[in-house]
Amino acid sequence: MILIPIMMLVLLAAVVGEYIIPERHSRALGAIASGIVLLLSLYLILAFNSMTAVQTTFSVSYISSFGIDLSFVLSNISVILVLLASIVSFAAVIGGNPGGERRRASNALIMLFELAAIGFFTSGNLFILFIFWDVGVVSAFFMINYLGSGGARSSAKNYLIYSIFASALLLFGIMMIYFYTPVHSFNLSTIEASGASIPIWVQETIFALLLIAFFVKMPVFPLHSWMSDAYSDASTQGSMVLSGILSKFGAYGVFILFLMLPISHTYAKYILIIAIVSALYAAFNAMVQSDLKRMAAYTSMIESSLILVGIAAYNSFGSEGAVYGMLAYGLAASLMFLSVGSIEFTFGSREIAAIKGAVKSASASVYSFLIALFGSTGVPITAGFIADLFIFIGSYQSYGFVGLIPIASLVMMGGYLYYAVDRSFLSTFKHSHPVRIEYWHWDMGYAVLVAAIIVFGILPSILIGLR
Amino acid sequence: MYAYVGYLIAALLGLLVISGITFKFNDRRRLLFGTSVTIFAAILIISLVSILYGVDVYLFGLLHIYQFSLLFVSLFSFAFILVEILGYGSDNFELFNMFVGIAAAGVFLVVMAYSILTIFIAIELVSISTIMMIMTGGKRSVESATKLFILSSISISVFAFAMVLMLPYDGTLSLSLLSMNSSIGGDYIILLSMLMFIAALSIDASLFPFNLWVADVYQGAQDYVTPMLSGINKKVAFVALIYILFIVFASYSHISSVILEVVAVATMFFGNLVAMVQSNVKRMFAYSSISQAGYILIGITTFSAYGLEASVFQIFAHVFMTIGAFAIVMWMESKGIRSVDDYKGMEHRNFWAFSSLTLIMLSMAGIPPLMGFFGKFLLFSSAISSGLLALAFIGIINSFISIYYYGKLISSMLRDTDKGFFYLGRNVRIVVYLCLIAIIAFGVYPHPLLSVISKSVSSLIH
Repeated sequence: MILIPIMMLVLLAAVVGEYIIPERHSRALGAIASGIVLLLSLYLILAFNSMTAVQTTFSVSYISSFGIDLSFVLSNISVILVLLASIVSFAAVIGGNPGGERRRASNALIMLFELAAIGFFTSGNLFILFIFWDVGVVSAFFMINYLGSGGARSSAKNYLIYSIFASALLLFGIMMIYFYTPVHSFNLSTIEASGASIPIWVQETIFALLLIAFFVKMPVFPLHSWMSDAYSDASTQGSMVLSGILSKFGAYGVFILFLMLPISHTYAKYILIIAIVSALYAAFNAMVQSDLKRMAAYTSMIESSLILVGIAAYNSFGSEGAVYGMLAYGLAASLMFLSVGSIEFTFGSREIAAIKGAVKSASASVYSFLIALFGSTGVPITAGFIADLFIFIGSYQSYGFVGLIPIASLVMMGGYLYYAVDRSFLSTFKHSHPVRIEYWHWDMGYAVLVAAIIVFGILPSILIGLR
Repeated sequence: MYAYVGYLIAALLGLLVISGITFKFNDRRRLLFGTSVTIFAAILIISLVSILYGVDVYLFGLLHIYQFSLLFVSLFSFAFILVEILGYGSDNFELFNMFVGIAAAGVFLVVMAYSILTIFIAIELVSISTIMMIMTGGKRSVESATKLFILSSISISVFAFAMVLMLPYDGTLSLSLLSMNSSIGGDYIILLSMLMFIAALSIDASLFPFNLWVADVYQGAQDYVTPMLSGINKKVAFVALIYILFIVFASYSHISSVILEVVAVATMFFGNLVAMVQSNVKRMFAYSSISQAGYILIGITTFSAYGLEASVFQIFAHVFMTIGAFAIVMWMESKGIRSVDDYKGMEHRNFWAFSSLTLIMLSMAGIPPLMGFFGKFLLFSSAISSGLLALAFIGIINSFISIYYYGKLISSMLRDTDKGFFYLGRNVRIVVYLCLIAIIAFGVYPHPLLSVISKSVSSLIH
């Protein structure tokens, strides 16, 4: 598939271009580059079903002494995730940081991150996958550290320590996979074919190492403590891509882990337990937050846990639901962070109590926030509904009523959020005064994300029908 | 016919030394600089071409010019060009140039040695000229020079004693497999000799128990000498270590492997943990270069062709990274920017310095797609392929620890400041450019370098 490297080259050129052009053209350049990528990924979705196996693969020799190819494979999972990455990045670039400060650096980092995400989701080779993983991690570090606000330095440090720890474990696991597969290969397809011949103790070790690495990124309960600070202190664009794309790195990783190692399915039920604990934990945490952005962060953690429930179900409904959930929740989470960032900019505060009656002066942001909320809680006609439905059908099939416990977290989150929004944003008798006016470019970001959430909610057949 | 290549390189070395010494009395710096750089470039080109043609000649029974040695000749001649560029602006350039010529002769002799005696003499040549070089730096450098002098004399005497212990068993002292090894298999004298060789070279290679001098000497040396100390002198000791352990004591690898494993683990932890608490950036980089020495050792401990390839690749990577990093850091130091806090706002003050230092640090921490990552990847995977899972895991944990102090410095450079633009010298910029090109190019596409290295390594291990 030659289109994947073309997308990457377009993005790479744009990253370099951001350092050459003047600041005022930054958004235009970013919009053009990520727009091209978005169009290409839409084309990929539409053309995917008519492609043959040869057409979905791009491979050139890279380091021949290790048998490492620069190979990109488009599967029915990765094509959806590429679409997610391109939509979120496009929305982030045109929506922009509310204040518009340090625009060039921010857009360059977004596009570098998009490049890493596309490479990560499509790479057919664990070595290449790791390279893109780390590029993504480091560019997200700069989004938090350089562009963030508040306690950005310490949360960036926290984030970096957790992430590099995850990378270290991932690298170690990948190298173990390479040396313990009988044919010594990094190729995903080869490993999938010969995964059963890896000794059991090695499989268990690799499984543990990689699972910890991916859980850090998702993030899931015991390994999440970097998350709330990082998401809330990053720039608006930064938290959009962090919650929308970076957390899906982990979910996709768990997915391919289940494909690679046959031993995974014996541990699926423990993963379900972790997912349930994580979802409930995040829901309780979301309920006590008075800070909008932190609340959004815990909301996205609930969603990560739900994706994990779908993966742990280990059947076709669960997997479909998990993949659809990555898309739906990614879109919802990034829309939520964009609107929260804009509301914060407009009112100069992100305390829920301080934003009374925001609907009057910042209506676009508030309505977008509501749609993001609908998307996260799985209200019909949003994409989140389809994802929830599939995930819970799958987990019911595998685990009976135990598999439905995570619904409680959705109910708790939804109940609290609707109550909070009703009392603050939609309040009709108290009005906080906006500090600044709304900007028009936010609306474009909202439009893209809202359209995506609704279209994929009404017409799931576009994506579900993929082979 | 290939013998001419050997004579040519030897002649160029002689020319280098002679021109360095005679031109010292000439004050036309540009001529000095031009001559030296031209000679180094000529050596670089000759050695690269000879690698491709597979030259393999013995000279005077003392030098062995073949692919493995030529690989390092090319690396070090490139490194010497960088060092020359760095030193060009200094006050003492004539003296510096002369000592660089002598040190280069020593370095190339070590690399091309066919006899332990050659290594002995050449290492002495390198140390003495480096000490003299540091001496010229004035009052504040004398302490460093003295420290280095004492340590090198200890190192060289231990080395001499090790040679003496070996002499009854191997009268030739040539770099070939220790003769009669079957009859002296368990002889403790031989083991003692090997241990003393390791100890002597550990001092120069800054391996664990013998590396406390590193930070002090690096800090005291002039801004154009420190890159050379960590980029060239240290790596030369590694080459000597590889020759002695892989050729002379090849049949004792099961013992030396255990010793080196312990040393590698201790060196990595020592370097990284001490670097974590440093507030002076230069000392931080000094300790981080110690930990890098520990990583390099991982490949040597495996005693396999694959492990040696990994070590050689990491030596290449670290030469570029350390020269680039110290070039910037030493320039900052000379402008009074010393501690991590002083680096505050470097992103505003000089974006180029910030981004190149950041890239170099990310490469040192092993972040892809930079050269340091690929080196570490090779090292750790060579350890896994030899069954040393624990060693690989400790290495990976160490590279995780190192992100703490690199991240601290990056974070500090990103902080806001109201200080104005900061100027970076032109020669520093050129050096860092060249290093960065190497780091990025060989990181993104390591295949050409890797194939050359594996060809050379297979010429060492038949």
